[in-house]
Amino acid sequence: MKTVLEVRDLEKIYPAFRLDRVSFSLEEGKITGFIGRNGAGKTTTLHSLLGFLSPNGGEIRFWGEDFRGHEQEIKQRIGFVSAGMSFYNRKKLKTITAVTKRFYGTWDEAAYRRYFELFSLDEEKTPEKLSNGMKIKYLLALALSHGADLLILDEPTSGLDPVSREELLEIFLDLRDEGKTILFSTHITSDLDKTADNILYIAGGKIRAESSIEAFVRAYRLAEYEEADPALDALLIGPRRSKNGKTALVRAEDAGKLPFASRETNLEEIMVHLEKEATEA
Amino acid sequence: MKNLLKKELSLCLHPSTPLMLALSALALVPNYPLSLIYFYLTLGLFFICLSGRENQDVVYTMTLPIARRDLVGARFLLTLLLELVQMLLCFGFIQLHRILGSTPNAAGMDANLALLGEGFLFFGLYHLVFFPSYYRDVNKVGVSFVKGAVFAAVFVTADIVGCYAVPFMRDVLDTPDPQHRGAKLVFLAVSVLVYAAGTLLALRISQRRFERLDIR
Repeated sequence: MKTVLEVRDLEKIYPAFRLDRVSFSLEEGKITGFIGRNGAGKTTTLHSLLGFLSPNGGEIRFWGEDFRGHEQEIKQRIGFVSAGMSFYNRKKLKTITAVTKRFYGTWDEAAYRRYFELFSLDEEKTPEKLSNGMKIKYLLALALSHGADLLILDEPTSGLDPVSREELLEIFLDLRDEGKTILFSTHITSDLDKTADNILYIAGGKIRAESSIEAFVRAYRLAEYEEADPALDALLIGPRRSKNGKTALVRAEDAGKLPFASRETNLEEIMVHLEKEATEA
Repeated sequence: MKNLLKKELSLCLHPSTPLMLALSALALVPNYPLSLIYFYLTLGLFFICLSGRENQDVVYTMTLPIARRDLVGARFLLTLLLELVQMLLCFGFIQLHRILGSTPNAAGMDANLALLGEGFLFFGLYHLVFFPSYYRDVNKVGVSFVKGAVFAAVFVTADIVGCYAVPFMRDVLDTPDPQHRGAKLVFLAVSVLVYAAGTLLALRISQRRFERLDIR
């Protein structure tokens, strides 16, 4: 499997926040979910990848090429879509498209028309007349029409209604089937349950996990109990109150050491308990 | 760069810009501080940068396959284009003013060739004040505009006062055309050189600052 993106020891230092030696890689044709709570460093990481921010250190390589020095060639192959993006609100989509396509030698007008029809977009509309979901679809149509091989999506489903979210998730799966690579940041873990092949988990500016979603979820179990012996504290991760007592994560290999039962868990429960553990540490 | 200039013209040009250019016709108004005409265009530039901030122009442009420094270069190119259009319009209105029978201007420079020189001088220096400040933080465009407005106020005041108090300005430059044409042409040529040097220096500083700027 080819490596599309390789990030090594990426650092970005702010007075109140630090992206701390972030390292990860993306495999071609996979959807990688980038999860973490608000303020964990997801957007800072993505913006560093795209050159919006000047990192204090580290290395970013797309398709083996250093981003610095190959920015233009690399951006020809990347599509960036963010929930917060809304350009030129009073310009018609056709005007924005006419400008955008001039920058891409690989622009495919037929693909653009196809995605416009698929996403039910209207070129005569302006961005201010589009819902958040339609704005995301328009940006996706632009990215896909210039033949982006890698889509970097920053919380694209944030603020969408459930039906629009499901529609978008299906589109992401279709794109993966076409061989596109997707890096998809979100704090809505159920979206990743449905789409992601791999997980990248960031907390406090550090990458805490990088693995396949199955391995990540299988690595933990959820213990539900009323009270636990303090001697078990070392095994219980991020204990929280629940309706019927308490819940805590436990590493799968430690589950047998507990005097009470545990069950399979999911991304959301893992994230919630890991964050609780990190907060209390 | 051609594509970026097209982007500037299609997506960034503020609707008020033609009006600001049309204010070049103020050259026909008697006893008006004519160097203010140039300030109005900087107001148009401010509106372009302000609406760019509201429309996430820099973020959009950064997603395109371009070099960062070219983003700055394109904005300079748009500015130069607008300024040259204004200078051409001013030249036309100055000629019209002369044909209609020019009267001495009691509020600063007459509508003459030296007024064009003042325009180039003003813009060349204005670029040095506005752009390096703007590209230090594109989100604080208001701060950069205030700096530019202070510079413009000083320039216009100096123009009005100079036309009364500085002998060379009063007796040579602030005279109806074609009097002292040679001296006015030299002043115009020097101003064009200041314009070119100021713009180039402002471009270099702005590009360097923008390379280091975090876009958020």
